Amino acid sequence: MPHQCTTCGRTFPDGSKEMLSGCPDCGGNKFQFKPAGETTDEQPSPAGEKPTAADRKPTASDEGAAFATDNSASSTQSTETQSPDSSTVDSQASDSETADTQQSDTQQSDTQQSDTQQSDSEHVRERTEEDVAQASARSDVVSPDELDRASRDVETDSSSSGSDPDTSPDPEGPRPDIDDLRDELNEQFESIRIVSPGKYELNLMELYDRQEYIISLQEDGRYVIEMPDAWGISDE
Amino acid sequence: MGLLTNLKDSISRVTDGLFAADEPKRIGIYGPPNAGKTTLANRIARDWTGDAVGPESHIPHETRRARRKENVEIERNGRKVTIDIVDTPGVTTKVDYKEFLDHDMDKDDAVRRSREATEGVAEAMHWLREDVDGVIYVLDSTTDPFTQVNTMLIGIIESQDLPALILANKTDLPGSDVQQIANAFPQHETIPLSALEGENMDEVYTKIAEYFG
Repeated sequence: MPHQCTTCGRTFPDGSKEMLSGCPDCGGNKFQFKPAGETTDEQPSPAGEKPTAADRKPTASDEGAAFATDNSASSTQSTETQSPDSSTVDSQASDSETADTQQSDTQQSDTQQSDTQQSDSEHVRERTEEDVAQASARSDVVSPDELDRASRDVETDSSSSGSDPDTSPDPEGPRPDIDDLRDELNEQFESIRIVSPGKYELNLMELYDRQEYIISLQEDGRYVIEMPDAWGISDE
Repeated sequence: MGLLTNLKDSISRVTDGLFAADEPKRIGIYGPPNAGKTTLANRIARDWTGDAVGPESHIPHETRRARRKENVEIERNGRKVTIDIVDTPGVTTKVDYKEFLDHDMDKDDAVRRSREATEGVAEAMHWLREDVDGVIYVLDSTTDPFTQVNTMLIGIIESQDLPALILANKTDLPGSDVQQIANAFPQHETIPLSALEGENMDEVYTKIAEYFG
């Protein structure tokens, strides 16, 4: 299962065209790429190994060039070209620097297209490596250990990249405990900090500056806010 | 251009005056917890309408929702001023349920009160931003007025160009120091009073009519 929808968890075989227009089940457009031989193959790395992949720029651009040169648009390649995007999403798309780096890699690969076309031998070599990896991904079954390790890598990577707390909770993961939730809310709402149940710190300027206002605090650290009239919602 | 601007200013002054005569000004009573805001609101409301605004208590954060008393007509020197009084929860930067445990309250009640008090502060700040035309800022004259909350709120009120009247309350208590409050906010007039005993309320009403009329 090289591709998995991060919203509903549906998996897609490598080369599946179903996911090209979004997940048919939930409409999600974020997919996680999990090749079978992720530790040994020269595949585009899964999300957890993205920094390593970024270090190996020549390889990444060569792969990009290989995709660009083959315009037969085989299904295998179309999913392949999607994999860098999916890995970016998995490792928190808010990290714009990483996204820029990957984009520049792609652009760089486009500029090298003519060079690659001229060097047929290199082209063939890339194609061969790709085919081997693809074949392995299609035929082998990912072991539960690998899956677990890959998901842990993703979590580590996203936490180290200073991710947006909005996207950090895994919808399929276990419910975060109350302390984590409280910390997360405190990150988002700087106007009221819940130190512990019954103990609050208030940022008066934030409370004053915000257009909407908090009308109710819930036991679990959630808030109810009143939407401003300017948003076109009648609240009376 | 200057002529047009002057004309526009004149028109807006006239229209402002018309609206001011029609609609009562909404005056927020602000201040830190336990300064005597509700006692003052009740004093004003009872003196001019016969009703109270809300329960008073020596426990901090007794007022946890803004309460409004509308159409309070105050007559001063033959002039009638109509205001809406908004008694707001005491504003503070920290709320801790433990401070309620000393007042014969169990932990669950104290935690709930703490949460409601926090909501009340959020509401008070919202009112200050959106819904008040003037502020009566009440301070306990027996406590140090140089606090972050007081400085910040007075600063916000000034930045909004809201008319503000500073009251040094609790002059009936032994440790009362009105001058300390006057020194803290020299840019504003400070009126001493005891809302509980009704001392110096005449001057307070005169100033209310002057500031918010």
